[in-house]
Amino acid sequence: MKNKKLLFTLFIAVVIAQLFVPFKMILSKEDTLKTGTPYKFITAPIDPTDPFRGKFIVLSFIENEFNIEDEKEWKRNEIIFVLLQNNKDGFATIKSIVKEKPAETSNDFIEAKVDRVYATEKNKRILIQYPFERYYMEEFKAKDAENTYRESQRDNMNKTYALVYVKNGEAVLKDVLINGKPIKQIVEENSATNK
Amino acid sequence: MNISKDLKELVEANVISEDIAGNIQAFYNKKENTSPNKLFIVFGILGALLVGLGIILILAHNWDNLSRLTKTVIAFIPLVIGQLLCGFTLLKKNNNTTWIESSSVFLFFGVGASISLISQIYNIPGNITSFTITWMLLCLPLVYLMKSNSIGFLYIIGITFYACKIGYWTYPHVETYVYWLLLLLILPNYYLLYKKSPKSNFLVFYNWLIPLSIIISLGTVATYFEEIMFAAYLSILGVYYLIGNSNYFKAQKLRNNSFLVLGSLGTIGVLLSLSFSWYWDDLLNIQFQYNGFKPYAEIIVTSIFSIIAFILLLKQFRKEFIKKSTLIEFVFILFIILFLIGLKTSFPVIIINLLVFLIGILTIREGARKNHLGILNYGLLIITALVICRFFDTDLSFIIRGLLFISVGVGFFITNYWMLKKRKSNEK
Repeated sequence: MKNKKLLFTLFIAVVIAQLFVPFKMILSKEDTLKTGTPYKFITAPIDPTDPFRGKFIVLSFIENEFNIEDEKEWKRNEIIFVLLQNNKDGFATIKSIVKEKPAETSNDFIEAKVDRVYATEKNKRILIQYPFERYYMEEFKAKDAENTYRESQRDNMNKTYALVYVKNGEAVLKDVLINGKPIKQIVEENSATNK
Repeated sequence: MNISKDLKELVEANVISEDIAGNIQAFYNKKENTSPNKLFIVFGILGALLVGLGIILILAHNWDNLSRLTKTVIAFIPLVIGQLLCGFTLLKKNNNTTWIESSSVFLFFGVGASISLISQIYNIPGNITSFTITWMLLCLPLVYLMKSNSIGFLYIIGITFYACKIGYWTYPHVETYVYWLLLLLILPNYYLLYKKSPKSNFLVFYNWLIPLSIIISLGTVATYFEEIMFAAYLSILGVYYLIGNSNYFKAQKLRNNSFLVLGSLGTIGVLLSLSFSWYWDDLLNIQFQYNGFKPYAEIIVTSIFSIIAFILLLKQFRKEFIKKSTLIEFVFILFIILFLIGLKTSFPVIIINLLVFLIGILTIREGARKNHLGILNYGLLIITALVICRFFDTDLSFIIRGLLFISVGVGFFITNYWMLKKRKSNEK
């Protein structure tokens, strides 16, 4: 009987751990969404050969590279911190990139990864892999969303951007918007008019 | 059971007395009562597996109309249901294998579903390796607390996937030994099962999954000096073969003797790939002396496995052992010698070819001695495989290749015919 009690206590501990992990994920993300600073990242046209992947759209961003001085200092897949600022149009740009985590109060920043290091004689830069390159959509709408996203990229007048909340290195992608309208809403409207 | 019918017939024919028939009947009745219904367990596990996966798929639809809060709550539902089922099983049904296994499997997928759904809700691109590790570690305690073996199997599959993902499918290559640590965590359960119920079907599953997982993941330790991994593989396969020849495993059916099957097939496979000259050409070109000799992970791993294989070999070594040997258990030692020679000359490739041929011949002899058509034809297949491999080497003339094929084909006919004839004459 005592053995059974101990077993059950341990089981409860495991149950709590299993609940804690997803809870922790939610809490930090919710906190960033509620108290973080929103930044607008202009998206770049995506490679049309990149196949549609599952139920999310793959985003790529204009502000995804940064000039460096010495290519030997940077390694692929290395963790970096991207310090952000807004340009005059209110879209996010990179202020600088550091390897050490900046102090919390100094500036808004995002933890990201080095995607690739480019180095030629004149041009040395790194490509950044942001932690918000996927936007999940409802299964049947994802294909339409992908098309809408692509069409908007073709038209230069359109401003397509990702709304990202940033707090203490963590970034949460809230929405993808085309000219200020959420992509989900556009897809819904399109499918309504098509019917 | 149909046995009562047979018993009746035997009693009527005066083959056995009624007393004996009664005893036999009682024996089977008792056996039937104590052994759990295997089919029920299997369907329980499969059912939980399918329902769990189905729930993940339905939630992956990513319902847009639901608010973030609703989606989050839904993400927890399978997890909490699984936990409640497991809690109930632990308190009320802790002797019922079907309940234990199916509720644990359901919870296993509940944990995976909740983590991946939260990632989806918050658009986290998700790093699949860290996701797998978190998932596996959160479920590992269930193996010991619920005493669920199917979670053990899913865990082994999960950590093997992790090892492959990080060791083979990630560029640039990262060194990781986490897999071996994770594997160590499941071994106590394997041992306990072996001690407690050495005849259980769960153990047979473990016997297949664990050695397979190790073979698959072994290659991930190679970073600098891949050629030596062949020695590591041959050593571990030698260990398997020797384990498969231990008394415990020899008493088992061949399909349950995973170690023997993997050890034998694996060794032949590796030897066949070594029978091409490319490996030995590569080995000659190695300039590892320029980097200096460092204790690379692959060298350490190779040494560990070959020492284990050597100890097992010494333990099983007897006079009659040599007589019956098909040489497979000695391959790892031979290869280490050939490897060292191979650093200076590519001559060992000839010895490897001879070795495979000899193993084939010895296997045929073993088959003939045991009057076992399976083993006999296995030996012939080894030689056939060797001939096919040589078929790809363009430097042999077509005439020689043709003659080789004809002689092996004729060999198949003659040996099988001879064996069947011998059986017939024995029956007379």
